[in-house]
Amino acid sequence: MKVKIVKNILEANERIAISNRQKFEEAGVFVINLMSAPGAGKTSLLEKTLSLLNGKLKAGVIEGDIVGTEDAERLERFGIPVVQINTQGACHLDANMIGEVLDELPLRDLDILFIENVGNLVCPAEFNVGEDMKVMLLSITEGDDKPSKYPLMFRESSALLINKIDLLPYLDVNIERIKKDSLSINPSLRIFEVSCRTEQGLEHWTSWLLSEAERKNKK
Amino acid sequence: MHEASIAQSILEIAINECLKAGASRIDRIKVEIGIMNAINSESLLFAFNASKLNTIAEKAGLDIVEKPVGGYCKDCDQRFTSEQLLLLNCPICGGQNFIIDQGRELNIIELEVSGESEDSKKHT
Repeated sequence: MKVKIVKNILEANERIAISNRQKFEEAGVFVINLMSAPGAGKTSLLEKTLSLLNGKLKAGVIEGDIVGTEDAERLERFGIPVVQINTQGACHLDANMIGEVLDELPLRDLDILFIENVGNLVCPAEFNVGEDMKVMLLSITEGDDKPSKYPLMFRESSALLINKIDLLPYLDVNIERIKKDSLSINPSLRIFEVSCRTEQGLEHWTSWLLSEAERKNKK
Repeated sequence: MHEASIAQSILEIAINECLKAGASRIDRIKVEIGIMNAINSESLLFAFNASKLNTIAEKAGLDIVEKPVGGYCKDCDQRFTSEQLLLLNCPICGGQNFIIDQGRELNIIELEVSGESEDSKKHT
């Protein structure tokens, strides 16, 4: 017997993502799903962002890693709520993993929640977790061909931070190509050029974050 | 390897739909996958064959229909498809005034099931 159906394969994930999103809405917290390849600087960006936002927004972090707690320990120094998820081999966070740890966070006390995804330039982009927006990080040492080789994450993200721009004089990378290709994949992508090491450009990113968080809270 | 999670989801939905249809065995599952999802068909098959063991889909085959990128160009007023993940210009006229509306499909579209489930036997 043939059964004709059209069922989205990720519908279970979508369902849980919607329920997570409702919890975020009720608590009035703005949620960012931060994605990048390993080593692009997600945790460094969060460290800098948390110090720049200190006193302006109350932040929390969900830290996704395959194993280990090193990143969570780096962020706990900021005296904020941090929950570590170990995916035990999975290369991305999904809505269910996020849903299961939400009770461990004081959501109502938070203005902004950063979800640091597992380092991977492909899979995390496929799974909504209930976030308000996806933000991705690309470091210039990864090369200027990445938007054209891994377009999905660029298409799904609302903002792109191009990190490690302090290294520009030492690399042959063409940053204009990164920007041009990213924008042709996703014309509404917001691009920030930053260096987490020298803090160059970070104030543009944090003031944008502040305005986006404010915009959400007014709704 | 998001293919492993995808394979798991395919099995869960298929098993659920098979039981709903009153059958006890899944023989074939057909899925359509847009190439923009960056899902590798071989990895998906491998993950599917590993995950299906000890389920009612144990003997099931997985047919993967890959869907190309598709869209509509406002400059030349034509629909197009392309195997390229990154389109900077309309493949027909070279214009840039186009929308992409295909290539992100991720659906189960057909199941072949057989046998009678315990439930439906009880009812008859």
